[in-house]
Amino acid sequence: MARSTGGRWTGEPLAAYDYQPTPYSGPDTYQPGRYRDDAIHTPKREKAPADDHQPQQRAAKSRLDEWMEVDFKFGGSRIKRKAVALILLGAPAVLPLFFMLPALITLNSNTFAVSVDDTLGTGAELCLFLCLLVTPINTLTGQRWFVPLRRWYGIMMACCAIGDATAASITDNFAGGVFGRLAGHVFELMGFIMVMLVIPLLITGNPWAQRKLGRYWKMLHRLIYVIWGLLAAHLMLLEGFGFQRGSDGSGFAGDGDPIFHQRFYQYSVCSLFLLTLRLPPVKRWIAARQKEGRNWLVYLTIAPIFALFLFGFIFIVNEEIFKGIDSFTEHPSAE
Amino acid sequence: MSGTYVIDRQEHAGKLILMVISSLAAVLVIAGLVYATGTSARHQAALAAAGCEPSLFISGFPCTTEQMIASQYQAIATPATQQLNTAMAAYAVNEGHNLAAAEAGLSAEVATEQAFDNSLAAMTFTPQNRATADALIQQATSTGNPVPSAAAIFTPQLTAIADALIQANENLAKVATEQAQSRSLTQMRSFNHRIQAASATVQTEMKLIRKALDSPPPAG
Repeated sequence: MARSTGGRWTGEPLAAYDYQPTPYSGPDTYQPGRYRDDAIHTPKREKAPADDHQPQQRAAKSRLDEWMEVDFKFGGSRIKRKAVALILLGAPAVLPLFFMLPALITLNSNTFAVSVDDTLGTGAELCLFLCLLVTPINTLTGQRWFVPLRRWYGIMMACCAIGDATAASITDNFAGGVFGRLAGHVFELMGFIMVMLVIPLLITGNPWAQRKLGRYWKMLHRLIYVIWGLLAAHLMLLEGFGFQRGSDGSGFAGDGDPIFHQRFYQYSVCSLFLLTLRLPPVKRWIAARQKEGRNWLVYLTIAPIFALFLFGFIFIVNEEIFKGIDSFTEHPSAE
Repeated sequence: MSGTYVIDRQEHAGKLILMVISSLAAVLVIAGLVYATGTSARHQAALAAAGCEPSLFISGFPCTTEQMIASQYQAIATPATQQLNTAMAAYAVNEGHNLAAAEAGLSAEVATEQAFDNSLAAMTFTPQNRATADALIQQATSTGNPVPSAAAIFTPQLTAIADALIQANENLAKVATEQAQSRSLTQMRSFNHRIQAASATVQTEMKLIRKALDSPPPAG
């Protein structure tokens, strides 16, 4: 079958769909790799004749990236705006570890036993979501200046997860020694596997390892998706598949928002946004609308999913701040 | 199958996925906002269901039942009141003729008041008491035992009343100490009106805390 240039697309500009009008000679099958690359990143597209708002939109995007590259004078030195923005956005990722610092300095085992899971565990979850958020935001906005944050959030996620596991192995009340405390329950085993998987990612999360590992680096770092999945199992089992209440689940007595405080629900609504914007057909649809200059349609469609993401994310942040401050003051909350 | 058709189908699938997920998300957000409006009512209902008194609930802290906190207060107040009555009776018997015995009665009164203050202070909402209570609750939870009544602490509002009671009691103990140092029975009796005034203040504060706890007056 010859490649159709009409049909349902008749009358629509081909350039906007990244169609390459070359004679077709290959097999009449779909080639995902080639197609995906074309759909997401198309240098030729930029050279194509403008038929709508495309040029202004792209120019606006690149303007922000360019604006971020500009230096400004601070004290006696010059600093890039991007560096300041990255520091401001990256600094909160240190908070979970900072919250536990007083307990570490004073070797307060009670604080570690009671609230390290909530402070560092939730912190690791937040950092994971922030790490995973970079790609969808890049897909939506086309900007790249914040991409270095992905590595930073990933590193902080690993540090929080390893810190959580280390403290749990020493201070938890579960029987069975260190291994019992780390993997004595199924939800703990999930957490333990996650920590084991995060270690190679932490070790290879640098440009040197990236160079040395070559194409295997990306394959290795796809483990982050396994960790993301295991976190679902970890949280699901931790709080009785989202139905448990009280000391072993969310919602101590007096909690007016037991559903919002269910960690598995928070995870689910955040993951919905992160997952949806990773689906190839969705990315393709977004890329096509962006090429048409109809970014407003993309934002409009994504808005409810993003609102839901924010809904869940705010409750996780609230949990982190609430438990973190309790840990910082060394009066941990058992809630 | 043509590439164009594949592109079309993929895009169509993307659109469909987004429409479905976006609609679902919109419904969930609206449901969440509606649910959030009932937070306060659910908070009250959850407290009632767990036997917690809303006025005794400490945010970020497991529920303390009214019964727990009232019985803990009674456990402090009842023996203290009995000892105090005994000491006051001893003083009343001896204030007219036996200086040493009256002094002993006053000293016992002071010791009782100080012990009561210390016990009450252990229930107030301080970071240290909160951490202790948290540790007790955590231990009980992990071992599957019921939460001990010693884990019951006052709310910040109740702590304000308890602090006032402690202060009034300290004042009473101070006057009683001065009274016990009297060199004569006449000098000792001259303190009685000051003691009565200080006692009245203590009684007022005790009534306030009992009212807040909905607790009956201690026996004896």
